[in-house]
Order: sequence, then C-alpha cells, then structure tokens
Amino acid sequence: MTAGVVWGRQVLALTVKELRQLWRDRPLLLYVVYLFTVELVLVAGGTRELSHAPFLVRDADRSAASRELVHDLREPWFTLRGEVRDPGEALRALDHGEVRFFVDIPPTFSRDLGRGDTPATVQLVVDGSRVVSAWLAPSYAGRIADGLSRDQAARNLGRLGVDVAALPTIENRRRTWYNPNLDDAWGNALAELLSMMTVACVLLPAAAAVREKEHGTIEQLLVSPLTPLQVMLSKALSMVFVALLGTGIALHGILRAVYGLPAHGSLTLLLAVTALYAFTNAALGLVLSTFARNTTQVGLLILLTLMPVLQLSGTWSPFEAEPEPLRAVMSLSPLRHLVSVAYGILLRGVGMEVLWPHVAAIAALGTACFGAGLWRFRRQFG
Amino acid sequence: MNLVRVAALARKEWREIVRDRKLFGLAFVLPAMLMLVFAYGSGQSLEHVPLAVVDHDRTDTSRRFAERFGNTVYFDLAGYVDSEREAAARLARGDVRVVVVVPEEFERRLVAGRSAAIQTWIDGSFSNSTPPRTLQGYVEAITAAATAELQAGAVARRLGVSVERALTLLNPIRVEVRYLYNPQLRTVWSVGPSMLMFILMFVAPLLMALGVVREKESGSILNVHSSTVTRAEFLVGKLLPNVAIGCANTVLLWLLAVGWFGAPFHGSLLLFAAASLLYVIATPGIGLVISLLVDSQTTAMIISVVVATLVGSQYSGMYIPVESLSGPGWLIAHVFPAMYFNDLVQGVFLKGMGAAELWRELCALALFAAAFPGLAWLLFHKRRRA
Repeated sequence: MTAGVVWGRQVLALTVKELRQLWRDRPLLLYVVYLFTVELVLVAGGTRELSHAPFLVRDADRSAASRELVHDLREPWFTLRGEVRDPGEALRALDHGEVRFFVDIPPTFSRDLGRGDTPATVQLVVDGSRVVSAWLAPSYAGRIADGLSRDQAARNLGRLGVDVAALPTIENRRRTWYNPNLDDAWGNALAELLSMMTVACVLLPAAAAVREKEHGTIEQLLVSPLTPLQVMLSKALSMVFVALLGTGIALHGILRAVYGLPAHGSLTLLLAVTALYAFTNAALGLVLSTFARNTTQVGLLILLTLMPVLQLSGTWSPFEAEPEPLRAVMSLSPLRHLVSVAYGILLRGVGMEVLWPHVAAIAALGTACFGAGLWRFRRQFG
Repeated sequence: MNLVRVAALARKEWREIVRDRKLFGLAFVLPAMLMLVFAYGSGQSLEHVPLAVVDHDRTDTSRRFAERFGNTVYFDLAGYVDSEREAAARLARGDVRVVVVVPEEFERRLVAGRSAAIQTWIDGSFSNSTPPRTLQGYVEAITAAATAELQAGAVARRLGVSVERALTLLNPIRVEVRYLYNPQLRTVWSVGPSMLMFILMFVAPLLMALGVVREKESGSILNVHSSTVTRAEFLVGKLLPNVAIGCANTVLLWLLAVGWFGAPFHGSLLLFAAASLLYVIATPGIGLVISLLVDSQTTAMIISVVVATLVGSQYSGMYIPVESLSGPGWLIAHVFPAMYFNDLVQGVFLKGMGAAELWRELCALALFAAAFPGLAWLLFHKRRRA
C-alpha cells in the first residue's frame, strides 16, 4: 500500500468516527434534524405583506359612499374591529396596540365627494411603532380610495362634459418572473434552509473540536500517527456529509414536496456548491474552536460571528439597501454568496456562467479559513 | 436562607465569571453587537432597488417617464437596455430586480389622449428579502402619479381651470395620514426598544444555563451536593451575578437605543427600571430551569438558543402580532415574559405610557421573576433520584 492510500484511509476512518459520535449524541442529532425540517416549516408561513391589519372606524358621514369605502377595506388585508363614536376611544386602542390604525370619515365626506370642488378628506391615524404595517396600510388604503375616487371623478367630469376615457392614461401591465403566484413560502423556506445549514456547519465541527479539548481526547489523537491536517480534514468532511444529507432531505422532502419550490437549474451543481460551502463553514468553525477553551466560550464566539452573517447576507433584508461599506464587508460572508447561488439555480435557472464569481468567492474563503485553522491548530498542538 | 452563605456563593460565582476574561468580555460584547446587527439588519427598508429600462419610444416623454423611477429613493436607474432579450438576461443574472418596458408610440398615444401600456417585470425570486408586491406597489404609485399629471394638464386645458382644480376633480378623495409615536417611520425607533427584550432573552438564559451545566460537566457541582448549602441558597447565589450582568447590559442597550439610534424615551425611567429588573431576574430563571434538565453544555446552549429565538422573535409580538397567533403559539406567547416586556418597552419608549396603563404587564413580569427561579428550585435535587 502506498503512503497516500494509508493517509486517505486514516482520514476516512476518522470521518466515520466523527459521524458515529454525532449519531450517538442524541440531543445534538435531534437538533440537526430539527434545523433541516421543523424549523423550515415554522418559518415558511410568514409574510411581509399586510395581513389582517385590525382597524377602527369613525363614520360621521353615514352615507352610501362612506359605507362603500369602509366595506372595501376588507380581508385578507384589513380586519374591521368595529366603529367608535369618540376618537379618544380609538386613540386608547392604538395606545394598547389593539388596532393598527383608525379611519376618521368627516360628516362632509359625501357632500364634498359629490361636488368635486374641495377634496373629500379621510384621515388615517396610524400606529407608527409597527413600522412595516404603518408603511403598508396607508398605501393599500390609498389604492382602495383611488378606485372609489376614479368612479366619482368620471361622474363629476362627465357632468362638465369631459369624457374620462378620452384622457391620456399610462397603463401598467405587470408580470412577476420566477415566482408568478407570489408564493411567500418559497423565499422564506429557502432562506431559512440556507441560514440553518450555516448554523449546523459552523456549530457541529466547532463543538466537536472543543469537546475533544475539554475531555483531553485531542491529546490521544495527537500522539497517534495522525497529522493535524488529517484531524481537521476529517471533521470538515463529516460536516460536508451531514450538510449534503440535510440539504437533500430538506430540499426534496420539504421545499419541493410541501411548498412546490421549482428547480429550474441543475440540482447537481447546487449540491456541489453546498458541499463546498459546508467545507468553508466547517473550516470557519474549526478556526473559532482554536480560540476557545470550553464549549461556553466557543458557543458565544459562534453567536458573535454568525449573527451578523445570518442577518446581513441578504436572506431576510434586501442586500441592495445596505450602505456600500457594509456591503463590502459582507462580501466576506460565505452565506451572501450562497444566497445568490441557491436562488439563482433554483428559481432563476442560471448556471456557472453567471454564478462563477460567487462560487469562486466561497472557495477562496474556504481555503483561507482552512489554512488559518491549520496554522492555529499546529501552533496549539504542534 | 442564610444570607452570608448566599453572599459567599455569589462572590465565588462572580469571581469565576470575571476570571474567564473571554467569557466576561463576550457577555457584554455580544449584546451590543446583536443590537447593532439587528438594528441595521431588520432596519432596512426596501430602497435603491436596481431597475433597467427598455425604451422603444426614445422621446422626451418616455425619457422623463423613465427618470421618474430613478428620482425616487426606491429605485436606482441601472441604465437603459436595447432589447427585451437583454433585459431578461440581466434579470436572470440578478443585476436588476425590475425592468420597465416603454412601448413604441408612447409619446404619440399620450399626446393624442389615448392610453399607452408599459410593461413591468419584477424579479419574484427573493420573495422574502425583496417582496415583489411591495415593488409592484412602488411601480403602481409612480405610474399613477405620472398619469395624474398628464390628465390634470389635459383637463385644465379643456375646462380652462387651474391644474390644482383639475387634480381635485380627477381625484376627489384625499387620504391624509397621521403617524402616531414614530412620525418618520424610523424602523430603529421601534426595533431598538424591542431589541432590549430580544437580546436579554437571548443572552441571559444562555449564560445562566451554561454556568450551571459547566459545573455539572466538570463535576464541581458535587461540592455543592455534599455541602451544607441549601438548594435555594445555591440557586440564588448562582442567579445574583447573572442578574447583575443583566442590569449592566440593560443600561448598555438602553444607551445604544436612545443614544446611538435616537429612539425616543417618553415614559417613566423608574417604571422601566423596575420592569427591567424583574425581566433580568426572570430570563436567567429560564436558563436555570434549562440547566437542570440537561447535562451537556452543547445541549444547554442549543436549547437556550432555540427557545430564545422562537419565543423572542416569533411569539413576542415583535414581528408577528400576538392576537394573530393560533392555539399553541398564543399559549407560548403567554407563558414567557418576552411578550409582556415587549409591550411594556414599546409603551414606555414610544407611547409615553405609565404604570397606570402598564400595571398588568408589570404584574406579569413580577410573576415570572418569581415563577422561573421557583420552578428551578422545585427541579433541583442534591441527591439524584434513582
């Protein structure tokens, strides 16, 4: 047998040992299964659109027009919580967060609307502390009011001899690409899968490495005829295996089976990049483990590193909206590149010809992390 | 309970925490960093979305129309593209998220008082970070404004009235919006205070649980088992240093929220201090309970993090209103202190509410501050049950 084959077999044996350890650590195993399954389902249902926003009305006009306006503010966007006589009552409900906004229709509403001399004003008092709904509710309500407005305008202008149909109009024919039914679950579940895979890939090898330090079993490995490179490589490779298995199950068993997520591009390419990505993150976890003496320290170090990665890589907030310096820093986050790759392959159906810069970035970051980890590891135990 | 023994235990615990320099530093660095990351992360509104225009008309009107998009904060005009095919390729590459196609004869049709149909293509793939419905809303609003301007001009000429009068005729309903509590809709103003709730929920149980489980793993907890220290004394001694860290972190996070992010603080500082004290007793209490149920640091960490993220972000009312939760979600929200503290900080910071309005939340927090350490006391046994 050549030395290379022996070397490879040793790495393989160590990798199997790592996997067996994970298999026997039932709480940890349970957590990994949870990350790749239940967690995705829990998160998939959320929406960033307006949904069932509760509101109150004071209708001082009590006309057909005002009733029509209130009637049009309907499910699934709005939920009418009732009418009030006194605006103070509505303000108290806003204070206690029971409703998101309050619609105040003045007694002159239908009169102004019929005459068309002065605008018929409706006041919307919005709880600005819930920023997303505070932004969306007036814009939805405004569009609904515009619809009523147009009908009334056609009548009023018709009386003055102007045909509304003969006025110039810019029509908007809209089309949503890659997600024509606007299914929120696709983006949510995929973003969560990528995030959770990142957590598992960093956490598992780091925790395994520190536990060996804490228990002293690392000394046993180092007095054996194994090199630090083999020890590190086996921890990273076992993680690649777990990540591929988890992603495969999550993708086919949950994302595609339950939510009907399409795969327009090559799944083989996606899994290949996933393997590379898992290696990069495992290397990052191993680097972090060299800075910690016990599990508590490494846990906090991982949280410190991963939280910015998970929050600012374009999974849950738009990457384009980040200020330029922050974007430059975040290009060091492997997740930022995986987001482009995974969404690109699955939903937009593109391949390496477009995605190669991102794949190259993940590979470069992985090499850097693995190199740094090996250097630190050798210095500590060499 | 012997207070001298409690004090001695707390002192020993404190010394242990302080001597682990890395841990001690992280206990303060982590909350501050989380505050910055979340405020910048979830504080992003959808702006500067790259947009390309395919202009088949190439007239003044079409150019002015295209510029309307670039003149808003919502879109960045990423340039003109010659053909639909090239635009589709740019959309696929992810260079742009929106394409606007202006047809031929755009200007001529509009001048003749007819309608001209533009097309907008929206990238729906990032439905979670770049919601396509919101992008469509932006496009609709910009198109509607352009139409209103054109029509007002036409009506004003026909009837010989002012453009303003024509606008009223065309758009008789006017919606006036008044924002309470946060008039400029700054996300950090409301995220900042909620972050106090989330970060303390995240960090305090974690540090507490790991502190106890580390003793279990190393076996030093056997010293406690064999000593005269009672169960309550041990738990209080463990809890006190973590409450102190929680208090320090509350001050730090408050300063960040108010000083750095400029969140308004309209309510009573005393009420806030009392509520925070109860919260920083209740949250490590959760950690104590977790630590008594598990035996390894990794498991303790995982459970703390999962409980904190789920309760803190999904069931606290921070993102999802609690009244919209169903059965189990609603129940989870009510058996943890996070929701009550979130309501309280929102009320105290933004709405200037006082104890008269928030006494229910305060009572609930007091209950949790007693319940979680109490539960830990019930679960803790010096002798292992067979």
